[in-house]
Amino acid sequence: MSQDAGRPTGPPAVRPLGSGGRLHGFQDLSRYRIHDILLVSTVYDAFILTEDGQLSESVLRRFLSFDAYHAPRLWHAATGADALALATRERRFDLVITAAHVGDMRADAIARALAARDPHPPVVVLAYDPRDVDDPAALAAAGIEHVFLWQGDVGILPAIVKLVEDRLNVAEDTGTMGVQAIILIEDNVRYYSSFLPVIYAELLRHSQSLVPEGLNLSQKLLRLQARPKILLCRTYEEAWRDFTAYGANVLGVIADIEFARGGARDPLAGVDFARRVRELQPDVPVMLQSGARENAAEAAAVGATFLYKDSPTLLHEVQRFMIEQFGFGDFVFRRPDGSEVSRARDLRGLEDELHTVPPESLAYHADRNHFSRWLKARTEFAVAYRLRPRKLSDFATIEELRQDLIQSIHDYRREQNRGIVADFEPATFDADAGFSRIGGGSLGGKGRGLAFGSFLLEAYGLSSRFPGVAIAVPPGIVLGTEVFDRVLDSNGLRDAAIRSTDERELLARFLAARMPDDVLRDLSAFLERARYPLAVRSSSLLEDSPSLPFAGVYETYMLANRHPDVRVRLERLLEAIGRVYVSMFGRHAKAYLESTPYRLEEEKMAIVIQKVVGRPRGDRYYPDLAGVARSHHAYAVPPLRASDGVAAVALGLGTAVVGGEPCFRFSPRHPRHLLQFSTVQDVLANSQRAFYALRLDDAGERQPTEDFALAQYGLDVAERDGALVSVGSTYSAENDAIFDGIGRPGPRLVTFAPILKHRVFPLAEILAAVLELAEQASGGPVEIEFAATATPWRGQPPEFALLQLRPLALTREFAELDVGRYSDLSLVCRSSSVLGHGRIDDVRDLVVIDSTRFGSARSQELAAALGRINASLADAGRPYILIGVGRFGSSEPTLGLPVQWDQISGARVVVEAGFRDFRVTPSQGSHFFHHLMTFNVGYFTVNPERGEGFVDWDWLAAQPAAGEEAGVRHVRVERPFVVEMNGRDHQGVIAKPRDG
Amino acid sequence: MPTLMTGTPGSAYVEEIIDLVRTKNPAEPEFHQAVEEVLESLAPVFDRRPEYRSARILERFVEPERVVIFRVPWQDDQGAVQVNRGYRVQMNSAIGPYKGGLRFHPSVTLGILKFLAFEQVLKNSLTTLAMGGGKGGSDFDPKGKSDAEVMRFCQSFMTELARHVGPDTDVPAGDIGVGGREIGYLFGQYKRLRNEFTGVLTGKGLNWGGSLIRPEATGYGSVYFAAEMLATRGETLEGKVCLVSGSGNVAQYTVEKLIQLGARPVTLSDSSGFIYDESGITREKLDFVFELKNVRRGRIKEYADRFSGVVYTPLDPKAGSNPLWSIPAQCAFPSATQNEINGVDAANLLRGGVYVVSEGANMPTTLDGVARFLDAGILYAPGKASNAGGVATSGLEMSQNNMRITWTREEVDQRLHQIMKAIHRNCAETAAEFGTPGNYVNGANIAGFLKVADAMMDQGLV
Repeated sequence: MSQDAGRPTGPPAVRPLGSGGRLHGFQDLSRYRIHDILLVSTVYDAFILTEDGQLSESVLRRFLSFDAYHAPRLWHAATGADALALATRERRFDLVITAAHVGDMRADAIARALAARDPHPPVVVLAYDPRDVDDPAALAAAGIEHVFLWQGDVGILPAIVKLVEDRLNVAEDTGTMGVQAIILIEDNVRYYSSFLPVIYAELLRHSQSLVPEGLNLSQKLLRLQARPKILLCRTYEEAWRDFTAYGANVLGVIADIEFARGGARDPLAGVDFARRVRELQPDVPVMLQSGARENAAEAAAVGATFLYKDSPTLLHEVQRFMIEQFGFGDFVFRRPDGSEVSRARDLRGLEDELHTVPPESLAYHADRNHFSRWLKARTEFAVAYRLRPRKLSDFATIEELRQDLIQSIHDYRREQNRGIVADFEPATFDADAGFSRIGGGSLGGKGRGLAFGSFLLEAYGLSSRFPGVAIAVPPGIVLGTEVFDRVLDSNGLRDAAIRSTDERELLARFLAARMPDDVLRDLSAFLERARYPLAVRSSSLLEDSPSLPFAGVYETYMLANRHPDVRVRLERLLEAIGRVYVSMFGRHAKAYLESTPYRLEEEKMAIVIQKVVGRPRGDRYYPDLAGVARSHHAYAVPPLRASDGVAAVALGLGTAVVGGEPCFRFSPRHPRHLLQFSTVQDVLANSQRAFYALRLDDAGERQPTEDFALAQYGLDVAERDGALVSVGSTYSAENDAIFDGIGRPGPRLVTFAPILKHRVFPLAEILAAVLELAEQASGGPVEIEFAATATPWRGQPPEFALLQLRPLALTREFAELDVGRYSDLSLVCRSSSVLGHGRIDDVRDLVVIDSTRFGSARSQELAAALGRINASLADAGRPYILIGVGRFGSSEPTLGLPVQWDQISGARVVVEAGFRDFRVTPSQGSHFFHHLMTFNVGYFTVNPERGEGFVDWDWLAAQPAAGEEAGVRHVRVERPFVVEMNGRDHQGVIAKPRDG
Repeated sequence: MPTLMTGTPGSAYVEEIIDLVRTKNPAEPEFHQAVEEVLESLAPVFDRRPEYRSARILERFVEPERVVIFRVPWQDDQGAVQVNRGYRVQMNSAIGPYKGGLRFHPSVTLGILKFLAFEQVLKNSLTTLAMGGGKGGSDFDPKGKSDAEVMRFCQSFMTELARHVGPDTDVPAGDIGVGGREIGYLFGQYKRLRNEFTGVLTGKGLNWGGSLIRPEATGYGSVYFAAEMLATRGETLEGKVCLVSGSGNVAQYTVEKLIQLGARPVTLSDSSGFIYDESGITREKLDFVFELKNVRRGRIKEYADRFSGVVYTPLDPKAGSNPLWSIPAQCAFPSATQNEINGVDAANLLRGGVYVVSEGANMPTTLDGVARFLDAGILYAPGKASNAGGVATSGLEMSQNNMRITWTREEVDQRLHQIMKAIHRNCAETAAEFGTPGNYVNGANIAGFLKVADAMMDQGLV
């Protein structure tokens, strides 16, 4: 994905990423260096690690900060087979960093295959899903050196490399040359994956602060080389061995309190370790961490700093500890008398301060080459070289010097920022097609997905496959996470936001917060050009995490953006941005994050500000259709296959689809096989009744509170607007039929028949192509959001817009959801005809319709009893497994229970079983099938007479009933049932509780 | 009471036939169940009509006149060959051409179709029209099939079926899985094969042979039946407070006809709850309901938001009874779903003053509820009689096709009215004849059978 690679024709398996040797001419003085890294991951993961706009630059700069003259060269293989082939051919790799799964191979298999060669590089796993690191011992057994967890911080990549290098060099550098070392004792993958980048970052600052003035460049580099090493230890014995070996040079110890000692977990191992360290070396700072506050006293007793692991500001406290211990290196502006004027933390800070520092201070620093030196210490060598020859005497006035410095640094920063997503440039921004960034940092999950989507659409020329349709990511900008950090820090909001529980007060503070001036200028310039409605969408670091569906956790706002005065429009945009920021700290989001392995502090918010795709129609604005599509369809039934994907679309804005309202589902590869829309009654029950649009009237112009700008309209409005032509059909009660199109009189329905049956717009084909492309590039199933206008308008062609692209975490589970490992005796139910996917292990309630008491005469009574039990379980917030005879929701009492969806709405899993000579055919296509899909309900069909699975009726009958009514039994168990469903082969099991 | 030739009661004859059916059709449990339920209600007939027994009417009655089972091969959109099984059970043509729906559903078996055909003979007879009974279909599942696949299947199905049906032989209609679209494809293929445009199917499109008043027929019919029941006591619907459940076609047109006849309908419901409009649902308010339910497809709750003085009560799924049936009134028209009136609801209705119940839905009252109505001696019309308006319009479609004329809405409505009157008279007279005057359940069960049985007697051993 280097920029000069030209347009590829297919996802290449191997390609160098980025480039090494940016700086040259300095000898590598360390013994072991990592020059070539083989990154084994999907194209998508590689993109995120290395090409997220400036991430590639950012990673590179981090490497350069450490090593100043050297950054490793990164190679990429998209499959395990490619990786092994490449490793054999090139034999040059010093390190292999692999995802836990790459399509065809697991990390341990790759490690074993590599270990068989000699010499072989160390293998490190960088997992994307916390569940992949559940068993580090197994990975270690395969010869894997380290296991890390990707948590959105690109600093992890340099940290991994440095950690591996430090370990290789420590004997020489520390043992022989006296370089200092920090011992980090931590066995929790997630924790050290967070810590290490922070600690390395602090070390870097520390070593820079150590660089005294007057050193020549090579000496300075030596100093940087001589930064402390980090020795990651997982057990007491490992740590003690290191301390014994390097004790004299140990700068400090950061240790967990509980870790393994003598092969068992020792709850106070850290305290004892600290005591022994103190005995030998009383001045070595020790920080002890624990998830138990009561350990604070233990830590104090041995003179160690205590850190509470669940502190919401953990990383900051680690930083503070290190800063206090090791010092820090801001650029401090001083007057000639040495008094401090101000400080600059980084390049941008330096640029900002340069505008305002007094001339005597400027002259003072310029004359002494402070700027250049400071920059070099930060390894900003290019600009340092540029500045160095400029003496104060070269300039007529100090102000000229000031402008020159500012311009040089500004230009340099812009170069640094240039990546796939260009920096926003007012002069060149194309309001109809541009996708730019404002501010540094990450683009966040959504921003990355859009950048990746934009890259894919462009690189693989999708538009050319659909002549006459404009296929693109809508124009817009992304506010990087750096802007978020600056707003929080400069307004002193961070700690308050993390701790606050008063949402109203917090909102007021965020709305009053000041946006940095440079960002304001850019936003204003953007609005000057962007004269269309805007969506202001959250794009947080964690939002693309495949295992965590953050959809709907953070806010999105829409702005009509029509006010003639750009200042008014800016004000509204700022308010929307403030509201999105604050939504990260709302009760809802905090509660959600608590249920994940992440901490709020690790989360950062970028913001996507994007054109709303659609057309103005009357005082409304909306697309013809919008929706969500997945490349994997867990509820596929023949002739559909799971890999054919599934799309849910609605007329108007996608709010309806995301909100679970009636919408239209189809498989892009089988657009005419419509399960939920086979009969007239199905269509009437399941089709869309109203649509969402953005208001362009006064309401849409007012403050963007709570989707205030959105309104719902009836289909009559869409018909008057002309929007129903592409998506509508007509119901005729007299004829008991639904006619395609809206040519005949009668109630209108949204069926998408003109598009899907009569091909007025190639929606299905485009979706199939985009899903296929994205899946191929991501190495696994993906989900996209999209919107489209199906007809040309004012000279503009029909448009298909990609609004979101994210991977779905299914690949891992396909491999592991092997339900064959259960013995039949341990099961309540086995089925080879299961729809749904995943594992459910928190359900303790089961409702069973007694097979012996089922009969058509009693089916209504049973249905009513079921409805009552469902309602009381729902009130108690207890999901349940439902097992019954025949089909649920059948209109024919002879075929099963005529329940309505709301009578079984609390079921997480539904089992329909045949009995004796009675065979069930799945309810697929019945009206509540839509609900099954919407709410991800597992769906089992069992026909024991035909050898298709079984239900252990005897076991069920033997369980004591927590409640029983009219032959419907409610069973509650102590330990949960375990339900596993494999959406690929449609196998599924329900296991009895383990102690049952 | 005449003595029986064999000296055993009618119930013994019925038991004998039920055993015979079980023995001869071992794999058809649904058919057994239907025969058992129907014949048990007919037991008194054989005490009074010994001639049926000597002519072996029941033995003939439970044996289809003809069953056709055939292969239906078709090609799916992927080009793969699919094979389904097609059926037509021609049960009884004593009083007219076979008439009954086609069902496309994977659960279709011979046993189920025989069960449905058996019941259809009696339903059709009760309408007093000249329609025999039959049923057909296939194990084809239209769900998830494309239009093109459904069309190819229908064409293949009709290619064989065309040999066995015709406007004077057998006139199928729609059923589960067979709606306007399928009838269209089937009709087109029949016309092409036979080169004749005749009324071989009912449920046709309005502009190619279909009849008006189909959506209205069941609701209108149920009201006409109630009016006839009231007439036996010298009363009319004028000014009567009426409870109507449901808000679909049946409920909507029940309310429409009630308004036309001067009654005061006060309730409507859907799966979420019901509205109670004490001042009565007027024409204007009903127009709102038409728009709400048929065009916007919204919730009935909106009625209460729209009009003042209306109480909306959400459905409580945990409750054992429905408060709708506790509202004081004179008439009730359960038009929503099966078993919506249980024993408690029935008692509440009686307590609230209801003395006319006309069922628009299929079996809306549980057995317990029915028993309470019969005990109380109120005017209770079971669905098989009061909702026969739907079946009757199929007969009216046939008549119009045969005469090659199209009646106006008013003409069809007027004939529907006459049919409902005839059904009522038939039920009432039969109930009286069998010693249970005013018991429309007995009347409806027996009347349909008598007409067919007498026709079979008349036509000799065929």
